Amino acid sequence: MSDLLKDKSQRREKRTVKVPSEGSHGARGKEATVRTKDSISIVSSMDELGHHDDNARMVVTMENTYQMAPYKRFPVPAVEDILKDVLTNYLQQEKYEVEWSQKMTKTICEVIRARVKDLMIPRYKIVVLVHIGQQCGQSMQMSSRCLWDAANDTFASYSFKNSSLFGVATVYAVYFE
Amino acid sequence: MDEYQTEEETAFIVEDVSKVIKESVEVAIGGSTYQHSRVNQWSTSVVEQCLSQLSKMGKPFKYIVTCIIMQKNGAGLQTASACFWDNSTDGSCAVRWENKSMYCIVSVFGLAI
Repeated sequence: MSDLLKDKSQRREKRTVKVPSEGSHGARGKEATVRTKDSISIVSSMDELGHHDDNARMVVTMENTYQMAPYKRFPVPAVEDILKDVLTNYLQQEKYEVEWSQKMTKTICEVIRARVKDLMIPRYKIVVLVHIGQQCGQSMQMSSRCLWDAANDTFASYSFKNSSLFGVATVYAVYFE
Repeated sequence: MDEYQTEEETAFIVEDVSKVIKESVEVAIGGSTYQHSRVNQWSTSVVEQCLSQLSKMGKPFKYIVTCIIMQKNGAGLQTASACFWDNSTDGSCAVRWENKSMYCIVSVFGLAI
């Protein structure tokens, strides 16, 4: 009887130990840390390119479309509306907390990606970047630069601020030729 | 036209990209301490250096490079990304670099043409 109880409690311990380690690292990702004299760098990337279920999918060879430009341009104002809507809805009433914001950045990313996908814009690849930061008088700068076809590729960005946090969401849309 | 490039030459190789990122951050910022007036110059040169090195690789990619430089004073910052693309060709790489007075987060996305 006592053995059984012990066993159970051990199992529970194992489970509780496991949870934070899963939470702090990405579900499928790779990290490598390098330390030099006075700086640290951490590289994170996807563990492997391609899903396993991709192999099962048939490789479809498409016929040439002879299409030089998109039928429908990426609607930047519509996407900006989505960003504004999502950020204000999720962040308006909130206070900055580490655990919460780790989850929230991922959630917001997924929501934005889903909403942009719902716009059904053919042949555009989408990259969504979301940052949530604490406001405590620090200074910071974000910048980005792209190597792409400026005629068809574009981006939309929106930033939200309240008294304890700020959120910035950017969507890059790249036309797949 | 036939494809003359092998898969090795056209793939997004994370190790190479992360090396490029680290080098450009080290060159631009190195051991400097945070100075508000120089942040603009640093972030421009990190992003520009990264892009020029990436384009020198001569791979059929469009690149998105973002750089965030934040002063260290105990404030928290989370970033996340989600993509809708072709998983077999496209790739991403993010490097978080820090020294005593600042954080620098550089992320690179490569989208195959």
